[in-house]
Amino acid sequence: MRPVALVGAGVTRFGVRKASYRDLIWEAGKACFDSVPALRPKHLDGLVVGSVMPERTAFQSHISSLAAEALGIKPSALSARTEHMCASGTVGIRYAYAFIAAGLADLVMVLGVEKLNQPVADEAILNMGTGVDREWEACHGLTAPPCFALAAQRHMAEYGTTEEQLARVGVKNHTHASRNPNAHFQKGATLEQVLWSRMIAAPLRLYMCSPITDGAAAVILASGQWARDLTDRPVWIRGTGQALDGFTLSSLPDDYSHWPAMRRAARSAYAMAQVGPGDVDVAEVHDCFAIAEVIAYEELGFCEKGEGGPFVETGRSDYGGDVVVNPRGGLMGCGHPLGATGVAQDVEVFAQLRGEAGARQLPDAAIGLTHNNSGMGEHVVMIYGRDPA
Amino acid sequence: MATYARATDPFPLQSAEQNKLHEFYERLAEGRLTTTACARCRRVSWPPRGFCPECVADEFAWIDLPVEGRIHGFTIQDAGVPAGFEAPRVFAIVSVGDARIFAPIVGPNANTLTVGSRVRLAPLRVADDARGSPRHLVAFALVETSG
Repeated sequence: MRPVALVGAGVTRFGVRKASYRDLIWEAGKACFDSVPALRPKHLDGLVVGSVMPERTAFQSHISSLAAEALGIKPSALSARTEHMCASGTVGIRYAYAFIAAGLADLVMVLGVEKLNQPVADEAILNMGTGVDREWEACHGLTAPPCFALAAQRHMAEYGTTEEQLARVGVKNHTHASRNPNAHFQKGATLEQVLWSRMIAAPLRLYMCSPITDGAAAVILASGQWARDLTDRPVWIRGTGQALDGFTLSSLPDDYSHWPAMRRAARSAYAMAQVGPGDVDVAEVHDCFAIAEVIAYEELGFCEKGEGGPFVETGRSDYGGDVVVNPRGGLMGCGHPLGATGVAQDVEVFAQLRGEAGARQLPDAAIGLTHNNSGMGEHVVMIYGRDPA
Repeated sequence: MATYARATDPFPLQSAEQNKLHEFYERLAEGRLTTTACARCRRVSWPPRGFCPECVADEFAWIDLPVEGRIHGFTIQDAGVPAGFEAPRVFAIVSVGDARIFAPIVGPNANTLTVGSRVRLAPLRVADDARGSPRHLVAFALVETSG
Protein backbone atom coordinates (compact mmCIF):
# COMPACT_ATOMS: atom_id res chain seq x y z
CA MET A 1 0.00 0.00 0.00
CA ARG A 2 1.12 3.56 -0.68
CA PRO A 3 1.51 6.04 2.18
CA VAL A 4 -1.32 8.60 2.47
CA ALA A 5 -1.34 11.98 4.22
CA LEU A 6 -3.61 14.89 4.99
CA VAL A 7 -2.37 18.02 3.22
CA GLY A 8 -5.21 20.47 3.79
CA ALA A 9 -8.12 21.07 6.13
CA GLY A 10 -10.89 23.56 6.74
CA VAL A 11 -14.08 23.93 8.73
CA THR A 12 -17.11 26.24 8.85
CA ARG A 13 -18.45 27.93 11.91
CA PHE A 14 -20.64 25.32 13.65
CA GLY A 15 -24.00 26.31 15.13
CA VAL A 16 -27.57 27.11 14.20
CA ARG A 17 -26.56 28.53 10.85
CA LYS A 18 -28.47 30.89 8.61
CA ALA A 19 -27.02 29.15 5.57
CA SER A 20 -28.13 26.72 2.91
CA TYR A 21 -26.78 23.20 2.49
CA ARG A 22 -24.72 24.42 -0.48
CA ASP A 23 -23.49 27.51 1.43
CA LEU A 24 -21.97 25.16 4.01
CA ILE A 25 -20.27 23.10 1.26
CA TRP A 26 -18.81 26.30 -0.21
CA GLU A 27 -17.56 27.54 3.18
CA ALA A 28 -15.79 24.33 4.16
CA GLY A 29 -14.42 23.76 0.66
CA LYS A 30 -13.05 27.29 0.41
CA ALA A 31 -11.45 27.07 3.87
CA CYS A 32 -9.85 23.76 2.94
CA PHE A 33 -8.48 24.97 -0.41
CA ASP A 34 -7.16 28.11 1.31
CA SER A 35 -4.99 25.87 3.50
CA VAL A 36 -3.15 24.46 0.43
CA PRO A 37 -2.31 27.48 -1.72
CA ALA A 38 -0.56 25.42 -4.41
CA LEU A 39 -3.69 23.42 -5.13
CA ARG A 40 -6.71 24.22 -7.31
CA PRO A 41 -9.95 22.26 -7.46
CA LYS A 42 -9.08 21.01 -10.96
CA HIS A 43 -6.04 19.16 -9.56
CA LEU A 44 -8.15 16.82 -7.44
CA ASP A 45 -9.15 13.47 -8.91
CA GLY A 46 -11.66 12.48 -6.25
CA LEU A 47 -14.35 13.60 -3.83
CA VAL A 48 -16.17 11.77 -1.05
CA VAL A 49 -19.01 13.50 0.80
CA GLY A 50 -20.20 12.33 4.21
CA SER A 51 -23.77 13.44 4.77
CA VAL A 52 -26.58 11.70 6.61
CA MET A 53 -29.96 13.20 5.86
CA PRO A 54 -30.03 15.89 3.15
CA GLU A 55 -33.02 14.03 1.69
CA ARG A 56 -35.00 15.16 4.74
CA THR A 57 -33.31 18.42 5.66
CA ALA A 58 -32.59 19.92 2.22
CA PHE A 59 -34.91 17.70 0.09
CA GLN A 60 -31.82 16.78 -1.88
CA SER A 61 -30.03 13.59 -2.89
CA HIS A 62 -27.28 13.09 -5.54
CA ILE A 63 -24.97 14.74 -3.05
CA SER A 64 -21.46 13.97 -4.30
CA SER A 65 -22.20 15.41 -7.76
CA LEU A 66 -23.85 18.50 -6.29
CA ALA A 67 -20.81 19.08 -4.09
CA ALA A 68 -18.32 18.39 -6.91
CA GLU A 69 -19.98 21.05 -9.03
CA ALA A 70 -20.14 23.52 -6.14
CA LEU A 71 -16.45 22.96 -5.37
CA GLY A 72 -15.19 22.96 -8.96
CA ILE A 73 -13.89 19.39 -8.71
CA LYS A 74 -14.22 17.10 -11.73
CA PRO A 75 -13.62 13.63 -10.27
CA SER A 76 -11.76 11.24 -12.59
CA ALA A 77 -10.96 8.52 -10.06
CA LEU A 78 -13.48 8.60 -7.20
CA SER A 79 -16.85 10.21 -6.49
CA ALA A 80 -19.06 8.90 -3.71
CA ARG A 81 -21.28 9.81 -0.80
CA THR A 82 -21.01 7.97 2.51
CA GLU A 83 -23.93 7.60 4.92
CA HIS A 84 -23.19 5.83 8.19
CA MET A 85 -25.16 8.02 10.58
CA CYS A 86 -22.86 9.89 12.98
CA ALA A 87 -19.69 8.19 11.63
CA SER A 88 -20.35 9.14 7.98
CA GLY A 89 -17.40 11.53 7.81
CA THR A 90 -14.77 9.11 9.04
CA VAL A 91 -16.21 6.31 6.93
CA GLY A 92 -15.67 8.67 3.96
CA ILE A 93 -12.07 9.28 5.01
CA ARG A 94 -11.48 5.54 5.08
CA TYR A 95 -12.80 5.23 1.51
CA ALA A 96 -10.53 8.00 0.25
CA TYR A 97 -7.60 6.52 2.17
CA ALA A 98 -8.17 3.07 0.65
CA PHE A 99 -8.42 4.41 -2.91
CA ILE A 100 -5.20 6.40 -2.57
CA ALA A 101 -3.31 3.64 -0.74
CA ALA A 102 -4.33 1.22 -3.51
CA GLY A 103 -3.13 3.56 -6.25
CA LEU A 104 -6.62 4.18 -7.62
CA ALA A 105 -6.60 7.91 -6.80
CA ASP A 106 -3.99 10.55 -5.87
CA LEU A 107 -5.73 13.60 -4.45
CA VAL A 108 -9.15 13.33 -2.85
CA MET A 109 -11.22 15.79 -0.86
CA VAL A 110 -13.43 14.37 1.89
CA LEU A 111 -16.14 16.81 2.88
CA GLY A 112 -18.73 16.30 5.61
CA VAL A 113 -21.82 18.47 5.66
CA GLU A 114 -25.15 18.65 7.47
CA LYS A 115 -27.89 21.26 7.77
CA LEU A 116 -29.91 19.80 10.62
CA ASN A 117 -31.80 22.76 12.08
CA GLN A 118 -35.24 23.24 10.58
CA PRO A 119 -37.84 26.02 10.77
CA VAL A 120 -39.81 23.81 13.18
CA ALA A 121 -37.49 22.77 16.01
CA ASP A 122 -38.97 19.40 16.90
CA GLU A 123 -38.84 18.34 13.26
CA ALA A 124 -35.05 18.28 13.59
CA ILE A 125 -35.42 15.83 16.48
CA LEU A 126 -37.93 13.78 14.48
CA ASN A 127 -35.35 13.51 11.71
CA MET A 128 -32.73 12.22 14.15
CA GLY A 129 -34.99 9.21 14.61
CA THR A 130 -34.02 8.05 11.12
CA GLY A 131 -30.79 6.82 12.72
CA VAL A 132 -32.43 4.09 14.79
CA ASP A 133 -34.48 1.15 13.55
CA ARG A 134 -37.85 2.46 12.36
CA GLU A 135 -39.77 -0.78 12.83
CA TRP A 136 -38.56 -1.68 16.34
CA GLU A 137 -37.25 1.53 17.93
CA ALA A 138 -37.93 4.82 16.14
CA CYS A 139 -41.67 4.00 16.01
CA HIS A 140 -41.66 4.56 19.78
CA GLY A 141 -40.05 8.00 19.45
CA LEU A 142 -36.58 6.72 20.31
CA THR A 143 -33.58 8.91 19.43
CA ALA A 144 -30.03 8.78 20.77
CA PRO A 145 -30.30 10.23 24.32
CA PRO A 146 -32.19 7.32 25.94
CA CYS A 147 -29.79 4.79 24.36
CA PHE A 148 -26.74 6.45 25.90
CA ALA A 149 -28.66 7.05 29.14
CA LEU A 150 -29.04 3.27 29.43
CA ALA A 151 -25.25 2.94 29.06
CA ALA A 152 -24.67 5.65 31.67
CA GLN A 153 -26.98 4.01 34.20
CA ARG A 154 -25.23 0.68 33.72
CA HIS A 155 -21.76 2.27 34.07
CA MET A 156 -22.82 4.05 37.27
CA ALA A 157 -24.28 0.86 38.74
CA GLU A 158 -21.33 -1.35 37.81
CA TYR A 159 -18.35 0.96 38.42
CA GLY A 160 -19.68 3.64 40.75
CA THR A 161 -19.29 6.36 38.12
CA THR A 162 -20.86 9.54 39.48
CA GLU A 163 -23.02 12.29 38.03
CA GLU A 164 -20.22 14.72 38.88
CA GLN A 165 -17.71 12.69 36.86
CA LEU A 166 -20.07 12.77 33.88
CA ALA A 167 -20.46 16.51 34.41
CA ARG A 168 -16.66 16.92 34.38
CA VAL A 169 -16.65 15.77 30.75
CA GLY A 170 -19.12 18.54 29.93
CA VAL A 171 -17.07 21.15 31.81
CA LYS A 172 -13.82 20.11 30.09
CA ASN A 173 -15.24 20.08 26.58
CA HIS A 174 -17.20 23.31 26.95
CA THR A 175 -14.03 24.92 28.34
CA HIS A 176 -12.03 23.68 25.34
CA ALA A 177 -14.75 24.98 22.99
CA SER A 178 -14.40 28.44 24.53
CA ARG A 179 -11.00 28.59 22.79
CA ASN A 180 -12.48 27.54 19.43
CA PRO A 181 -13.97 30.37 17.33
CA ASN A 182 -15.81 27.79 15.18
CA ALA A 183 -17.55 26.03 18.09
CA HIS A 184 -21.34 26.05 18.52
CA PHE A 185 -20.88 27.00 22.22
CA GLN A 186 -18.05 29.32 23.24
CA LYS A 187 -19.05 30.46 26.73
CA GLY A 188 -17.61 27.51 28.66
CA ALA A 189 -19.52 25.88 31.53
CA THR A 190 -19.06 25.47 35.26
CA LEU A 191 -19.63 22.26 37.19
CA GLU A 192 -22.74 23.81 38.77
CA GLN A 193 -24.14 24.79 35.37
CA VAL A 194 -23.75 21.27 34.05
CA LEU A 195 -25.14 19.60 37.18
CA TRP A 196 -28.14 21.91 37.32
CA SER A 197 -28.95 21.93 33.61
CA ARG A 198 -32.27 20.35 32.75
CA MET A 199 -32.68 16.60 32.61
CA ILE A 200 -32.94 15.16 29.10
CA ALA A 201 -32.88 11.39 29.74
CA ALA A 202 -31.78 10.37 33.23
CA PRO A 203 -28.94 10.60 34.16
CA LEU A 204 -27.95 12.72 31.14
CA ARG A 205 -28.55 16.46 31.51
CA LEU A 206 -28.51 19.08 28.78
CA TYR A 207 -24.81 19.97 29.21
CA MET A 208 -23.89 16.29 29.03
CA CYS A 209 -25.40 16.05 25.53
CA SER A 210 -24.28 17.31 22.12
CA PRO A 211 -26.67 19.75 20.41
CA ILE A 212 -28.28 19.70 16.97
CA THR A 213 -25.88 21.67 14.82
CA ASP A 214 -25.30 22.81 11.24
CA GLY A 215 -21.83 22.80 9.75
CA ALA A 216 -19.33 21.37 7.32
CA ALA A 217 -15.68 20.37 7.30
CA ALA A 218 -13.26 19.26 4.61
CA VAL A 219 -9.82 17.66 4.34
CA ILE A 220 -7.64 16.77 1.36
CA LEU A 221 -5.89 13.40 1.32
CA ALA A 222 -2.89 12.84 -0.92
CA SER A 223 -0.53 10.07 -1.92
CA GLY A 224 2.92 10.34 -0.34
CA GLN A 225 4.54 11.85 -3.41
CA TRP A 226 1.83 14.49 -3.83
CA ALA A 227 1.86 15.19 -0.10
CA ARG A 228 5.58 16.03 -0.07
CA ASP A 229 5.19 18.23 -3.14
CA LEU A 230 2.30 20.18 -1.64
CA THR A 231 3.46 20.81 1.92
CA ASP A 232 6.48 20.40 4.17
CA ARG A 233 4.22 19.32 7.02
CA PRO A 234 1.91 16.53 5.84
CA VAL A 235 -0.01 14.64 8.55
CA TRP A 236 0.26 10.93 7.85
CA ILE A 237 -2.48 8.35 8.18
CA ARG A 238 -0.83 5.66 10.26
CA GLY A 239 -3.69 3.31 11.06
CA THR A 240 -7.40 2.73 10.79
CA GLY A 241 -9.97 0.31 12.14
CA GLN A 242 -13.72 -0.22 12.05
CA ALA A 243 -15.93 -2.72 13.86
CA LEU A 244 -19.61 -3.30 14.47
CA ASP A 245 -21.40 -5.11 17.28
CA GLY A 246 -24.97 -4.43 16.23
CA PHE A 247 -27.58 -1.91 15.16
CA THR A 248 -30.67 -2.36 17.34
CA LEU A 249 -30.46 -2.17 21.13
CA SER A 250 -31.61 -5.80 21.28
CA SER A 251 -28.62 -6.91 19.20
CA LEU A 252 -25.94 -5.28 21.38
CA PRO A 253 -24.05 -7.13 24.10
CA ASP A 254 -26.06 -7.51 27.30
CA ASP A 255 -24.07 -4.90 29.25
CA TYR A 256 -24.28 -1.47 27.60
CA SER A 257 -21.35 -0.12 29.61
CA HIS A 258 -19.02 -2.30 27.50
CA TRP A 259 -18.52 -1.40 23.84
CA PRO A 260 -16.38 -4.24 22.48
CA ALA A 261 -16.60 -3.01 18.87
CA MET A 262 -14.71 0.15 19.86
CA ARG A 263 -11.99 -1.95 21.48
CA ARG A 264 -11.68 -4.04 18.29
CA ALA A 265 -11.61 -0.99 16.00
CA ALA A 266 -8.92 0.59 18.18
CA ARG A 267 -6.89 -2.62 18.29
CA SER A 268 -6.87 -2.76 14.46
CA ALA A 269 -5.80 0.87 14.22
CA TYR A 270 -3.06 0.60 16.86
CA ALA A 271 -1.68 -2.58 15.28
CA MET A 272 -1.55 -0.97 11.85
CA ALA A 273 0.06 2.20 13.21
CA GLN A 274 2.42 0.23 15.45
CA VAL A 275 1.63 2.49 18.38
CA GLY A 276 -0.22 1.95 21.65
CA PRO A 277 -2.68 4.03 23.66
CA GLY A 278 0.18 5.48 25.72
CA ASP A 279 1.69 6.99 22.57
CA VAL A 280 -1.37 9.10 21.74
CA ASP A 281 -0.84 12.80 22.50
CA VAL A 282 -4.16 14.15 21.36
CA ALA A 283 -7.50 12.40 20.73
CA GLU A 284 -10.74 13.59 19.19
CA VAL A 285 -13.35 11.16 20.51
CA HIS A 286 -17.07 10.92 19.89
CA ASP A 287 -18.53 12.60 23.00
CA CYS A 288 -22.10 12.69 21.69
CA PHE A 289 -22.95 12.25 25.38
CA ALA A 290 -20.68 12.48 28.43
CA ILE A 291 -20.87 8.75 29.07
CA ALA A 292 -19.55 8.06 25.56
CA GLU A 293 -16.30 9.87 26.31
CA VAL A 294 -15.94 8.05 29.64
CA ILE A 295 -16.38 4.68 27.93
CA ALA A 296 -14.05 5.77 25.10
CA TYR A 297 -11.18 6.34 27.59
CA GLU A 298 -11.61 2.71 28.61
CA GLU A 299 -12.18 1.03 25.26
CA LEU A 300 -9.38 3.00 23.57
CA GLY A 301 -7.05 1.82 26.33
CA PHE A 302 -6.27 5.18 27.94
CA CYS A 303 -7.30 3.65 31.29
CA GLU A 304 -8.62 0.37 32.70
CA LYS A 305 -12.27 -0.68 32.33
CA GLY A 306 -14.36 1.15 34.92
CA GLU A 307 -11.71 3.84 35.55
CA GLY A 308 -13.14 6.36 33.06
CA GLY A 309 -14.87 8.44 35.74
CA PRO A 310 -11.75 8.99 37.88
CA PHE A 311 -9.72 9.49 34.66
CA VAL A 312 -11.62 12.67 33.77
CA GLU A 313 -12.04 13.75 37.40
CA THR A 314 -8.27 13.81 37.99
CA GLY A 315 -7.55 15.74 34.79
CA ARG A 316 -5.82 12.91 32.96
CA SER A 317 -7.80 13.66 29.76
CA ASP A 318 -7.02 17.39 29.83
CA TYR A 319 -3.99 19.58 29.14
CA GLY A 320 -1.23 18.47 31.50
CA GLY A 321 -2.66 14.94 31.74
CA ASP A 322 -1.98 11.67 29.91
CA VAL A 323 -3.72 12.63 26.65
CA VAL A 324 -5.65 15.74 25.62
CA VAL A 325 -9.13 14.53 24.70
CA ASN A 326 -11.31 16.73 22.49
CA PRO A 327 -9.16 19.87 22.35
CA ARG A 328 -11.52 21.53 19.84
CA GLY A 329 -14.42 21.10 22.33
CA GLY A 330 -15.82 17.79 21.18
CA LEU A 331 -19.34 17.21 19.98
CA MET A 332 -20.71 18.72 23.21
CA GLY A 333 -18.93 22.05 22.72
CA CYS A 334 -18.63 22.26 18.93
CA GLY A 335 -21.96 20.65 18.16
CA HIS A 336 -22.65 17.57 16.10
CA PRO A 337 -23.49 18.13 12.43
CA LEU A 338 -23.49 14.34 11.86
CA GLY A 339 -21.62 13.90 8.56
CA ALA A 340 -19.30 16.81 9.32
CA THR A 341 -18.22 15.61 12.76
CA GLY A 342 -15.70 12.94 11.77
CA VAL A 343 -14.09 15.27 9.25
CA ALA A 344 -13.97 18.13 11.77
CA GLN A 345 -12.17 15.80 14.20
CA ASP A 346 -9.51 15.29 11.53
CA VAL A 347 -9.27 19.03 10.90
CA GLU A 348 -8.33 19.46 14.58
CA VAL A 349 -5.79 16.63 14.59
CA PHE A 350 -4.29 18.09 11.39
CA ALA A 351 -3.86 21.46 13.12
CA GLN A 352 -2.51 19.94 16.36
CA LEU A 353 0.09 17.78 14.58
CA ARG A 354 1.26 20.76 12.48
CA GLY A 355 1.47 23.08 15.48
CA GLU A 356 -1.26 25.34 14.09
CA ALA A 357 -3.93 24.94 16.77
CA GLY A 358 -3.35 28.35 18.35
CA ALA A 359 -4.84 28.73 21.84
CA ARG A 360 -5.67 25.02 21.85
CA GLN A 361 -2.21 23.81 20.82
CA LEU A 362 -0.70 20.90 22.74
CA PRO A 363 3.06 21.49 22.48
CA ASP A 364 4.92 18.93 20.39
CA ALA A 365 1.90 16.75 19.55
CA ALA A 366 3.17 13.87 17.38
CA ILE A 367 0.46 11.18 17.43
CA GLY A 368 -3.25 11.95 17.09
CA LEU A 369 -6.31 9.69 17.21
CA THR A 370 -9.87 10.19 16.08
CA HIS A 371 -12.83 8.06 17.15
CA ASN A 372 -16.22 8.39 15.51
CA ASN A 373 -19.22 6.18 16.25
CA SER A 374 -22.74 5.68 15.04
CA GLY A 375 -24.59 4.36 18.06
CA MET A 376 -23.04 2.33 20.85
CA GLY A 377 -22.25 -0.66 18.65
CA GLU A 378 -20.48 0.84 15.62
CA HIS A 379 -17.04 2.42 15.84
CA VAL A 380 -14.31 3.84 13.59
CA VAL A 381 -10.80 4.79 14.74
CA MET A 382 -8.05 6.62 12.83
CA ILE A 383 -4.47 7.22 13.94
CA TYR A 384 -2.35 10.03 12.52
CA GLY A 385 1.34 10.80 12.84
CA ARG A 386 3.54 13.83 12.34
CA ASP A 387 6.03 11.35 10.90
CA PRO A 388 5.19 8.81 8.19
CA ALA A 389 6.25 5.83 10.34
CA MET B 1 -48.07 25.90 -4.10
CA ALA B 2 -47.26 23.31 -1.51
CA THR B 3 -47.05 24.69 1.99
CA TYR B 4 -44.28 23.73 4.41
CA ALA B 5 -45.26 20.32 5.72
CA ARG B 6 -43.87 17.29 7.44
CA ALA B 7 -44.45 14.22 5.32
CA THR B 8 -43.55 11.30 7.46
CA ASP B 9 -45.18 8.20 8.88
CA PRO B 10 -43.40 7.24 12.09
CA PHE B 11 -44.88 3.74 12.26
CA PRO B 12 -43.99 0.64 10.23
CA LEU B 13 -46.32 -0.71 7.56
CA GLN B 14 -47.56 -3.97 9.02
CA SER B 15 -50.15 -5.51 6.70
CA ALA B 16 -49.70 -8.75 4.73
CA GLU B 17 -49.10 -7.01 1.40
CA GLN B 18 -46.48 -4.69 2.89
CA ASN B 19 -44.47 -6.69 5.41
CA LYS B 20 -43.09 -10.23 5.47
CA LEU B 21 -43.46 -10.16 9.28
CA HIS B 22 -47.19 -9.38 9.14
CA GLU B 23 -48.07 -12.45 11.23
CA PHE B 24 -46.13 -10.93 14.11
CA TYR B 25 -48.40 -7.91 14.06
CA GLU B 26 -51.57 -9.94 13.62
CA ARG B 27 -50.72 -11.93 16.77
CA LEU B 28 -49.60 -8.79 18.61
CA ALA B 29 -53.09 -7.36 18.03
CA GLU B 30 -54.43 -10.46 19.84
CA GLY B 31 -52.14 -9.89 22.81
CA ARG B 32 -49.47 -12.42 21.83
CA LEU B 33 -45.73 -11.81 21.59
CA THR B 34 -44.15 -14.01 18.95
CA THR B 35 -40.90 -14.25 17.04
CA THR B 36 -39.21 -16.33 14.36
CA ALA B 37 -37.44 -19.63 14.99
CA CYS B 38 -35.38 -21.06 12.15
CA ALA B 39 -37.00 -24.22 10.79
CA ARG B 40 -33.59 -25.74 10.06
CA CYS B 41 -31.26 -24.84 12.96
CA ARG B 42 -33.91 -23.76 15.51
CA ARG B 43 -32.20 -20.46 16.24
CA VAL B 44 -34.66 -18.04 17.86
CA SER B 45 -34.21 -14.38 16.88
CA TRP B 46 -35.36 -11.09 18.33
CA PRO B 47 -36.48 -9.02 16.49
CA PRO B 48 -38.05 -11.53 14.08
CA ARG B 49 -36.08 -11.98 10.87
CA GLY B 50 -36.58 -12.75 7.19
CA PHE B 51 -33.85 -15.36 7.08
CA CYS B 52 -31.61 -17.07 9.58
CA PRO B 53 -28.24 -15.33 10.10
CA GLU B 54 -26.69 -18.64 11.22
CA CYS B 55 -27.70 -21.12 8.53
CA VAL B 56 -29.29 -18.75 5.99
CA ALA B 57 -32.51 -20.79 5.78
CA ASP B 58 -35.59 -18.68 5.10
CA GLU B 59 -38.14 -21.13 6.42
CA PHE B 60 -39.17 -20.25 9.92
CA ALA B 61 -41.82 -21.03 12.46
CA TRP B 62 -43.52 -18.43 14.65
CA ILE B 63 -43.11 -19.21 18.33
CA ASP B 64 -44.71 -17.55 21.33
CA LEU B 65 -42.51 -15.68 23.80
CA PRO B 66 -43.69 -15.21 27.39
CA VAL B 67 -45.91 -12.15 27.74
CA GLU B 68 -44.31 -11.31 31.07
CA GLY B 69 -40.76 -10.14 31.60
CA ARG B 70 -38.55 -8.11 33.89
CA ILE B 71 -36.93 -4.69 33.54
CA HIS B 72 -33.25 -5.10 32.58
CA GLY B 73 -32.59 -1.36 32.32
CA PHE B 74 -34.57 1.81 31.81
CA THR B 75 -34.47 5.57 31.40
CA ILE B 76 -37.12 8.26 31.51
CA GLN B 77 -36.80 10.88 28.80
CA ASP B 78 -38.09 14.26 29.98
CA ALA B 79 -37.21 16.48 27.04
CA GLY B 80 -36.13 16.43 23.42
CA VAL B 81 -38.62 13.91 22.06
CA PRO B 82 -39.49 13.92 18.33
CA ALA B 83 -42.43 15.80 16.87
CA GLY B 84 -45.59 13.78 17.34
CA PHE B 85 -44.47 12.09 20.58
CA GLU B 86 -45.13 13.29 24.12
CA ALA B 87 -42.67 13.56 27.02
CA PRO B 88 -42.03 12.10 29.49
CA ARG B 89 -41.41 8.74 27.88
CA VAL B 90 -40.39 5.66 29.83
CA PHE B 91 -38.04 3.49 27.75
CA ALA B 92 -36.88 0.08 28.92
CA ILE B 93 -34.99 -3.01 27.95
CA VAL B 94 -37.23 -5.90 29.00
CA SER B 95 -35.86 -9.42 29.50
CA VAL B 96 -38.40 -11.83 28.05
CA GLY B 97 -37.13 -15.40 28.10
CA ASP B 98 -33.72 -15.19 26.40
CA ALA B 99 -34.63 -12.04 24.45
CA ARG B 100 -33.94 -8.45 25.46
CA ILE B 101 -36.68 -6.31 23.98
CA PHE B 102 -36.61 -2.53 23.69
CA ALA B 103 -40.06 -1.11 24.42
CA PRO B 104 -41.82 1.77 26.12
CA ILE B 105 -43.44 1.17 29.50
CA VAL B 106 -47.00 2.49 29.47
CA GLY B 107 -49.69 3.03 32.07
CA PRO B 108 -50.29 5.61 34.81
CA ASN B 109 -47.64 4.17 37.17
CA ALA B 110 -44.97 3.58 34.51
CA ASN B 111 -42.50 6.00 36.12
CA THR B 112 -42.39 3.95 39.35
CA LEU B 113 -40.47 1.12 37.69
CA THR B 114 -37.10 -0.16 38.93
CA VAL B 115 -34.58 -2.63 37.55
CA GLY B 116 -36.13 -6.06 38.12
CA SER B 117 -39.76 -4.85 38.04
CA ARG B 118 -42.23 -7.33 36.51
CA VAL B 119 -43.96 -6.12 33.36
CA ARG B 120 -46.59 -7.57 31.08
CA LEU B 121 -47.18 -7.11 27.34
CA ALA B 122 -49.61 -4.25 26.68
CA PRO B 123 -49.84 -3.83 22.88
CA LEU B 124 -50.19 -0.20 21.87
CA ARG B 125 -52.71 0.71 19.15
CA VAL B 126 -51.27 3.52 17.01
CA ALA B 127 -52.54 5.37 13.92
CA ASP B 128 -53.93 3.20 11.13
CA ASP B 129 -51.86 3.07 7.96
CA ALA B 130 -52.88 5.09 4.90
CA ARG B 131 -55.19 2.28 3.73
CA GLY B 132 -56.98 2.05 7.06
CA SER B 133 -55.30 -1.10 8.40
CA PRO B 134 -54.94 -1.06 12.19
CA ARG B 135 -51.41 -0.99 13.62
CA HIS B 136 -49.98 -2.08 16.97
CA LEU B 137 -46.57 -1.67 18.62
CA VAL B 138 -44.92 -3.69 21.38
CA ALA B 139 -45.25 -2.05 24.78
CA PHE B 140 -45.28 -3.29 28.36
CA ALA B 141 -47.03 -2.20 31.56
CA LEU B 142 -45.99 -2.76 35.16
CA VAL B 143 -47.57 -5.78 36.85
CA GLU B 144 -49.30 -4.66 40.05
CA THR B 145 -47.74 -6.45 42.98
CA SER B 146 -49.98 -7.23 45.95
CA GLY B 147 -48.94 -6.12 49.41
